[in-house]
Amino acid sequence: MKKISTPLLALAISLTLSGCAKSYLVLMEDHDGSTGKVMFKDASGETLIDQAGYAAVLSDAKNIFKPEQQQIESDFNRALSSEPTRPDIFLLYFNNGGTVLTEESAALIPKIFDAAAAHPAADISVIGHTDTVGDAEKNEKLANERAIQVSHLLEQTTLDVKELVVTSHGEKNLLVKTADEVAEPKNRRVEVTIR
Amino acid sequence: MKHFFALSGLGLALLISSGVSADDSVIGYIKTISDETSIVENGKSVKAGLGSPIRIGNLIKTSEDGSAGLTLKDNTILSIGPNTEFKIDKYQFQPQNDQLELNASIIKGTLHYISGVIAKLKPDAVAVTTPTGVIAVRGTRFLVKIE
Repeated sequence: MKKISTPLLALAISLTLSGCAKSYLVLMEDHDGSTGKVMFKDASGETLIDQAGYAAVLSDAKNIFKPEQQQIESDFNRALSSEPTRPDIFLLYFNNGGTVLTEESAALIPKIFDAAAAHPAADISVIGHTDTVGDAEKNEKLANERAIQVSHLLEQTTLDVKELVVTSHGEKNLLVKTADEVAEPKNRRVEVTIR
Repeated sequence: MKHFFALSGLGLALLISSGVSADDSVIGYIKTISDETSIVENGKSVKAGLGSPIRIGNLIKTSEDGSAGLTLKDNTILSIGPNTEFKIDKYQFQPQNDQLELNASIIKGTLHYISGVIAKLKPDAVAVTTPTGVIAVRGTRFLVKIE
């Protein structure tokens, strides 16, 4: 595996390639400001890029260079500008044992409508969860009832929603890990994702 | 009309299809589109529009002046520029059963990729094939151009 070359070498390669880079792969900073890694594997081996803004030439992956911002702009402008609105995730919490939203969560519903409006051709998933009080089968049903309750609220929207899928995870997907029979308000929730 | 079906082997999922199309082979939707974009499914090409569903095996093609963006069920975001051919080869998103997979190919053109839940839970499950190799991601955003 080869890591990013020194800036000097990168500059040299960048000069030789400027204007003629054909197929290449660029690592970008995430929208949250973090940077991951990307690896290219081909017959000649593996090349790792771990610094944002650096790129590998795919015909010769050992060549790592830093493309000019201008080049990225001219090559990827259209792909970048057609990025869809990022998904929004809302967590709604319930009073103990039933399908009544907490007051704070009920107040979030209009915000969910706003988010749906900001997502053209929105598809929405609603996943119900419970805490571990009671038996698993009943919790499965309760989580489902919670999710259906929320989906009914969301159905009132007349927006362009392509799909609304309701799922129950019962007590099997705890946000806060607890032992069985533990009342945990943070686990009594419905997760709404607007894509 | 309401259908019940099992999802992830974990209890019931209720699909509310009040006039909206819903089917579990759909793995994502076209969210942005400009000019001509088509979706090729089983050799048949159909003109794509805002909200067109994407299924496993679909090839998405943009024209000389086209571009498109799609969001998959695990919140992976993919957007492509003009003269691009991009295909979804494999897709599984059932985190409850640890069934996670995203394999796609870029045949030509430009792709902007932003990781979703699959890459976060199981980075090895994501691969984007190019004509000369394979891109593997470690929770990230990248651009790739294939000429």
